[in-house]
Amino acid sequence: MKHLPLATLIAAALAAPLASAETLNVYNWSDYIAEDTIEKFTAATGIEVNYDVYDSNEVLEAKMLAGNSGYDVVVPTSDFLQRQIAAGAYQPLDKSKLGNLGNMDADLMEGLAGYDEGNAHAVIYMWGTTGIGYNVDMIQERLGDDAPTDSWSLVFDPAVAAKLADCGISVLDAPTELLPAAMNYLGLDPRSTEKADFEAGADLLMAVRPYIRYFHSSQYISDLANGDVCVSVGWSGDIFQARDRADEADNGVAVTYVIPKEGALQWFDTMAIPVDAPNPDAAHKFIDFVMDAQITADITNYVWYANGNAASMPLVDEEITSDPGIFPTDAAKQNLWASKVYNARQDRTVTRLWTKVKTGQ
Amino acid sequence: MRRLLGASGKRWVVSVPGLWLFVFFLVPFLVVAKLSLSEAAIARPPYLPLWEWDDDYLTVTLNIGNYRYLIEDTLYINAFLESLRIAFFSAIFCLIIGYPMAWYIARARADRRNFLLMLVILPFWTSFLLRVYAWIGLLKPNGVINNMLMGIGVIDQPIPMLQTDFAVYLGIVYTYLPFLVLPLYANLVKLDESLFEAAEDLGAKPVHTFLTVTLPLSMPGMLAGCLLVFIPAVGEFVIPALLGGADTLMIGKVLWTEFFNNRDWPVASAVAMVMLVILVLPIMLLRNAQSAAEGRT
Amino acid sequence: MTVSDDQPWRDPSAQPFLRIKGLSKHFGSVAAVDKVSLDIYRGELFCLLGGSGSGKSTLLRMLAGFETANAGSIEIDGQDMADVPPYRRPVNMMFQSYALFPHMTVADNIAYGLKRERLPRAEIASRVDQLLSMVQLGDFAKRKPSQLSGGQRQRVALARALAKGPKLLLLDEPLGALDKKLREETQFELMKIQEETGVTFVVVTHDQEEAMTLATRIGVMRDGEIVQVATPREVYEYPNSRFVADFIGSVNLFEGRVSEDGEAHMRLDCADIGAEIYVGHGVSCTPGQRLWVALRPEKVRVSTQPPAQSHNVLQGVVDEIAYMGGSSVLRVRLANGKLVHVTQPNLDRDDAHPVSWDDAVYLSWGDTAGVVLPV
Repeated sequence: MKHLPLATLIAAALAAPLASAETLNVYNWSDYIAEDTIEKFTAATGIEVNYDVYDSNEVLEAKMLAGNSGYDVVVPTSDFLQRQIAAGAYQPLDKSKLGNLGNMDADLMEGLAGYDEGNAHAVIYMWGTTGIGYNVDMIQERLGDDAPTDSWSLVFDPAVAAKLADCGISVLDAPTELLPAAMNYLGLDPRSTEKADFEAGADLLMAVRPYIRYFHSSQYISDLANGDVCVSVGWSGDIFQARDRADEADNGVAVTYVIPKEGALQWFDTMAIPVDAPNPDAAHKFIDFVMDAQITADITNYVWYANGNAASMPLVDEEITSDPGIFPTDAAKQNLWASKVYNARQDRTVTRLWTKVKTGQ
Repeated sequence: MRRLLGASGKRWVVSVPGLWLFVFFLVPFLVVAKLSLSEAAIARPPYLPLWEWDDDYLTVTLNIGNYRYLIEDTLYINAFLESLRIAFFSAIFCLIIGYPMAWYIARARADRRNFLLMLVILPFWTSFLLRVYAWIGLLKPNGVINNMLMGIGVIDQPIPMLQTDFAVYLGIVYTYLPFLVLPLYANLVKLDESLFEAAEDLGAKPVHTFLTVTLPLSMPGMLAGCLLVFIPAVGEFVIPALLGGADTLMIGKVLWTEFFNNRDWPVASAVAMVMLVILVLPIMLLRNAQSAAEGRT
Repeated sequence: MTVSDDQPWRDPSAQPFLRIKGLSKHFGSVAAVDKVSLDIYRGELFCLLGGSGSGKSTLLRMLAGFETANAGSIEIDGQDMADVPPYRRPVNMMFQSYALFPHMTVADNIAYGLKRERLPRAEIASRVDQLLSMVQLGDFAKRKPSQLSGGQRQRVALARALAKGPKLLLLDEPLGALDKKLREETQFELMKIQEETGVTFVVVTHDQEEAMTLATRIGVMRDGEIVQVATPREVYEYPNSRFVADFIGSVNLFEGRVSEDGEAHMRLDCADIGAEIYVGHGVSCTPGQRLWVALRPEKVRVSTQPPAQSHNVLQGVVDEIAYMGGSSVLRVRLANGKLVHVTQPNLDRDDAHPVSWDDAVYLSWGDTAGVVLPV
């Protein structure tokens, strides 16, 4: 017990510099914010930000379910959000602290309410689709002018995929997005939870498995930009980033994103506050700050993802708002589907099939 | 009085590693063991508690199903076998490459040995992850090696090297080679040079000297080195994840999938427990090999 | 038995078995072995005696083939060894550390060389048995070296080195690791085995007593050179230099000038001891030349009464007495402070008139007791 005074002293000494400046811990996807957003937030509020990144929902989820992550704001995707809310991982938002909530697009927030009843726990950060990015010249070279660049058959038709194996096909390591896409391509309901439907989707994927170079959820950005792969099933904004990187490198690689005509998954990335966030007050300030029309527009202009902020639209670059890959046409919107949240048994079925697709086991 | 103090001081010194083992091995081990017997749930943390007090009743629920599940689905057995296979051959490759290195260093002039050993350890001065990423840069289709080979006209199409088993072996051998070289070196450097001269003097050609004297006497070092490669390689995750193909099935990746994709912590824990049990035998062998290597003069 | 059988080196027509000519070995700028020429005859037990760094071990390792010469040649039984690797030489070596293979049993250690010759299994087994009984280790065949005592290991090493029946056996400090008593026993055993097997031995040692006991001849080495080759007796009684006289046994060295150079005698004026030394045989020298006289301690007599002789007598005071059991070593201080060592045998158990500390004594020696050495 006699050591206590010393320990107290040390604790006080350590705590002092932390207490002097308020801090906020943000955990977001990699390459998913404007370069100056954090800087501006600190300038506006005096709150220091520790900004960490991840590249898969699974990693975020493991931290949320384990608890005591130390983060104040995290960015889960809609279907993961729903499960994590069920597990009790998030605290309800105090809407009195979110003055900019009125900026949000009511229709999109209505869509998110399907995952988070009454929009109690989260607001939309960005949204996007899971489609196909490709290297224009390489596809042209191998498939000629008739290349089915507007269709999932670019990846799911073995005859087509075989011709692209040498230049490289990459696929997101995200079973809950790929299996429904395959099911949809087969004319099945992408939101089906029937085991037989999952298996049919997996069979389709296994048929093209020999032509897939790898399964990864972030590697493809630079590979697509460098011409190391020529087709990637990926997230819209990431593929636009690949396009930008290729442009910057001026390496002669031209990348395009397409929402295939058969349809694609529409998803929402949302901002939420963990139930045990150390600084929920600052978290609310951050979320409200991001919902500012100009700040959100800045982010969209930088990351090329659509946002859920109606007030920001006039401030978003024309080049982005007019791109059907980012803001789909009304016709294309008809074919978008929202992800289905699976129960544990369905999750296991999907994951097991995914392992089978990847390893043949 | 002095003896008393000495004894208690000694007990204190001995208790430090004991405490270390308790806090950093036994406690986590028990946590994982406990987890492997519970049941997954959508909760925080995502599993059901193992016991519950209800009035005066203590209800303990042990779920053996996680282990049964590992047997029912051949995926796990295959992943274990594949991991053991990759770890085994990695250890053999390390031995083939590392033995001449260790031998050369042990027989180098005494004042040069430290320098050579430093060269072996040098890669550890940079981050492991960084070095694995460097290999990606070397091996990828547009990478240094392929570009060079195409540049000098040896090949006209890139050789697929990344995302293959070859890359996994390369990564493991590259990463763990020092773990083999160091104990083997320590073994070889202690061998009395006159033993080799005696063999030669008695009519053994260099190759016979190696086979009948050097090799058997360096067995403890070889075994310790191989096991130091084998044991961590079995559970290796980063190298197969970054350098291997999607079809590289290793238990580390399966464990990752269970933990992150299925968010099934109990099954993931069961996989970890089985891995530990599988590794108990090689770990005990390692202990014996190390004490044998140290005992030999 | 003729002289040349027993002492072939005295027979000008005898062919040396081992012929070393102008052999040199340099390590960097240091000449470890410097232009050594040496003939060793069949059946000899030749000792290379020298201090550390004298080059004796390097010379031995060159014979075994572990070091290559920078100059000169080695011929064994008429065959030049220049291009013969160690594993082809008709030579075996017993290492100072014994170098027993720790992972093999005693029997396997002994059989090692025989197995390399691919001899039939039964032949190897019987040869090993024979060797084991020769070194009296018949019961230890299955033991590992670590289970043996130092003396037993030494015998295994010897048996292993003899197993192939080498023409020449090299022994590097063969008794160095044994304690004194065991060493004396083993010396005689070694000689017995050498006589029985008839193998030519070359032994390297730094222990002059060991060399004296074992050797047919001794080669004294210093700074890479052989300074004297002679029988143990000759090396002791007729050292050819102050170095050898001093290195072998203990000795009193007196420096003087020739004052009288007769036909069969000479006199030296020794300022060292403040007296004249009379030498009872002719020495080729010139008057006034500086020479040394080496006088062994046991050749000096001590008395409390003046001795009968008129020359080679000194007076002094006993400074120190060391009782050694068989003899006593006295240190006597002369008037000018010079110390002289004297060894006295202890002939009686109770000497009625022992010389004791601070006694005034007379020292005397015979006309031919001293050895005259050049400067």
